[in-house]
Amino acid sequence: MTALLEAEGLARHYAVRLGGLLGRRGVLRAVDGVSFRLDPGRTLALVGESGCGKTTTAKLVLGLVPPTRGTTRFEGEALPPAGTAAWRALRARMQMVYQDPLGALDRRLPVVVQVAEPLAIHGGLRPAERRERALAMLAQVGLPAPLAQRYPHELSGGQRQRVVLARALILGPRLIVADEPVSALDVSIQAQVLTLFEELQARFGVAFLFISHDLKVVRQVAHEVAVMYLGRIVEQGTPEALFGDPAHPYTRALVSAIPVVRRNRARVRIVLEGDPPNPIAVPPGCAFHPRCPVALAACRSEVPVLKARGDGRLVACHLAHGEAAARRPAA
Amino acid sequence: MLRFLLSRVARAILTIVAVVTFAFVVLRLSGDPALLIMSVDAPPEAIEAFRAAWGLDRPVWEQYVRYFVQVARGDLGQSMRDGRPALAVVMERVPATLALTLPAFALKLLLGVPAGIYAALNRNRLADRLTMVVSVAGFTVPSFVLALLLVLVFAVQLGWLPSGGAESWQHAILPVVTLGLAGAAVLARFTRSAMLEVLGQPYIRAASAKGLPWRRVVTHHALPNAAIPTVTIIGFMVGSLVAGAVVVESVFSWPGVGRLLVVAVANRDLAIVQTILLLIAAAMVCANLVVDMLYGWIDPRLRTARMAGAG
Amino acid sequence: MAPQDAAAAVPSAAAAVEERGRLARALEAWPPGVLLALAWIATMLVVALFADSLAPYSFTALDLRGRLLPPVFMGGSWTHLLGSDELGRDVLSRLIVSIRMSVLIAFGATVISAVLGTTLGLLAAHFRGRVEQVVLALVDFQASMPFLIIALSVLAFLGNSLPLFVALMGFHGWERYARIARGLTIAANEQGYASAVRQLGAGPARIYGVHVLPNIASTLIVTATLTFPEIILLESGLSFLGLGVQPPLTSLGNMVGYGREYLTRAPWIMLTPSATIVLTTLSISLVGDWLRDRLDPTLR
Repeated sequence: MTALLEAEGLARHYAVRLGGLLGRRGVLRAVDGVSFRLDPGRTLALVGESGCGKTTTAKLVLGLVPPTRGTTRFEGEALPPAGTAAWRALRARMQMVYQDPLGALDRRLPVVVQVAEPLAIHGGLRPAERRERALAMLAQVGLPAPLAQRYPHELSGGQRQRVVLARALILGPRLIVADEPVSALDVSIQAQVLTLFEELQARFGVAFLFISHDLKVVRQVAHEVAVMYLGRIVEQGTPEALFGDPAHPYTRALVSAIPVVRRNRARVRIVLEGDPPNPIAVPPGCAFHPRCPVALAACRSEVPVLKARGDGRLVACHLAHGEAAARRPAA
Repeated sequence: MLRFLLSRVARAILTIVAVVTFAFVVLRLSGDPALLIMSVDAPPEAIEAFRAAWGLDRPVWEQYVRYFVQVARGDLGQSMRDGRPALAVVMERVPATLALTLPAFALKLLLGVPAGIYAALNRNRLADRLTMVVSVAGFTVPSFVLALLLVLVFAVQLGWLPSGGAESWQHAILPVVTLGLAGAAVLARFTRSAMLEVLGQPYIRAASAKGLPWRRVVTHHALPNAAIPTVTIIGFMVGSLVAGAVVVESVFSWPGVGRLLVVAVANRDLAIVQTILLLIAAAMVCANLVVDMLYGWIDPRLRTARMAGAG
Repeated sequence: MAPQDAAAAVPSAAAAVEERGRLARALEAWPPGVLLALAWIATMLVVALFADSLAPYSFTALDLRGRLLPPVFMGGSWTHLLGSDELGRDVLSRLIVSIRMSVLIAFGATVISAVLGTTLGLLAAHFRGRVEQVVLALVDFQASMPFLIIALSVLAFLGNSLPLFVALMGFHGWERYARIARGLTIAANEQGYASAVRQLGAGPARIYGVHVLPNIASTLIVTATLTFPEIILLESGLSFLGLGVQPPLTSLGNMVGYGREYLTRAPWIMLTPSATIVLTTLSISLVGDWLRDRLDPTLR
């Protein structure tokens, strides 16, 4: 089966000015060599702290910003440059859902008009039909018709996110990139919206690239999870494997921070020490080594490669592959 | 701070270059200056000689460069009316204009700032309302109307002051008052809102809560902070003062640069007009530089913030 | 008082309180000062639109026997309601025609200024980079020079005609629209509805025409209410100096300038146009402040 979405060594660097009289220049490596594939109708979650490059990866995948290195292939084709007619036409097949639905909606138009807007942009239908389709789609995401005439600020946060989902789905896209879609919502509403994501996937066969900093959220919706740290994927696998037996020390720390309900399963919480990650000054070797509780000498000089372990999981850690231990005498 | 100053100076130079370019472009757009200045029936040889003298027979870019060189040398052409160097004609009018604008500027500050502070400290009381009504009137009444009303009352009806001319210091009173009042109104309104903004800040409440006398809270905490935005608008006020001088000098027949400009525009005496344009641009640029430095001096926080931001 | 009377009195008292509350709310929403200002602006618009039918005489008609007649409120006759000038021309008729001229110029110039500034602001926000730098340099230049001086220079160099004069007035204040349009558009493009619509595949025409412009319109309209009176003041100032609207046409500033010569003998010639200028600028400023509070509390 061909992948719906295939990222190959994606990198995005930004030139930044550092402080000082002469304004030294630095390079911010927001994303630094990310590869993954996403099959139709599946959900891949990207998790990590803020500043790890999740959102930049989302923009790269959608072709909103050009990559410094690497390629993105969607349905086997490279992405056209942003703003071109080909790129605009492709929007019918790949869509986005935002963290802040109120900001993503025009506060001056009733939501039904905004849900119908993609149909107007990508052409073909008469206004009455567009409206009909928009109302039907709003019903599919669980927003009753009486609410369709309202303005965004007259809806609740969960309802707004449903509107944004309806707008993203109305052209029948194959891929939806969701950037922290539930983190602005109340916990009780979060569960409803996440369930909606699953239902919509079952109904429309759409694939999600789901970005979140919250492992609990990810566990519910993802078929596969990729953990990012400072612009790179450090571990990737099924949620069961990843959360049940995290291989990378960073994943282990993240997983240990999830609160547990049953006392007898209480885990020892690993608290990370050292400086929070700074994408302008990425440490040499393994980027995580200054904060890693089990770092070895090799971690300071050699960048670990993301590769498969025996159980089918991908990990980028010298220790997890047993390489570092083997080489220790040499170091 | 050095970096900040350098960027300001660079900006000032850029503004001057822009104004010179503007003058050049508009001058060229105005048609053939030779035909404009000499009468149409002048002998062709005279027109050719004029063109050669002004470099009008050269390509445009060369004219542009020559124009810059001339301006830099202070050679701004001759007044087309009496043939004297334009710069000299303008400069001899400058003292008269300063004699109006400097006292008017002082009047603005002395009236506007205290009125604004007083209004803010007595918010929503009669004094505040009254100040605001007067200040709204101050910028909806055009200066020429204010000038004529003052003449009508103090010169025509009461006969206390002369209505025009520049023979004695009494002649300066009405023009200075006209210029000062209009600006004072704007300044009062601005000072009031700056002061109100500061008075609403938590550190003012903290200062008075810890038991400082109110007078001391105002003088040591509120005023210095309210001064920061107020200084910015003073740069603007120099501009409005210059524009106001044009009108007021004309109404009161005051022999300053403003009146010269109006006469020169009416007669299309281009050399004089461009000289005044450049002079005012230079004055504005200097005023803005001074304001920027004042700004850095009053607000040390800004100095470091700018440095970090620019770095 | 019988109990049932008291019971009957309570609801009516409540109704009275509610009535008063409604009145207070109405007064708060529509302050009397603003209503008066709106009424004055409406009057000015009606006068400007129907100047020809409203003027009792032709504004150029001479009446050499009826020169310098005082207005009714200064003991004159009803034939010349607001008096007559040195040439016996009817002041009321001249005032009406002048109002039309001043309002037309200010209106045309405001439209030019708003369109020019908004367009440049949108271009700067859309293209960023070089284009933005050029627009910002122009904004800086415009803001750093008193516009009256620029206007006088252009009039000196290019001469004066009505279309040129209106166009010139249209350059007043464009930099404010440009700043606002640029700032709000960049904000909308970076995180918000504009980027979301772009991501739906919309072209620039839809993004700016359907979404950005309607969203920033209220702020731009408030800005227009601030520049409109300034343009009236600028136009009347230049016309007062004899450098704006040229005779035989007349504007409010021309009338004041002409009346200045007769300040001692016939102050009414300059008083009525002066009062009209002041009332008009005052009204628009009042309405502008009120609109700003209602539509856009974020504007300072």
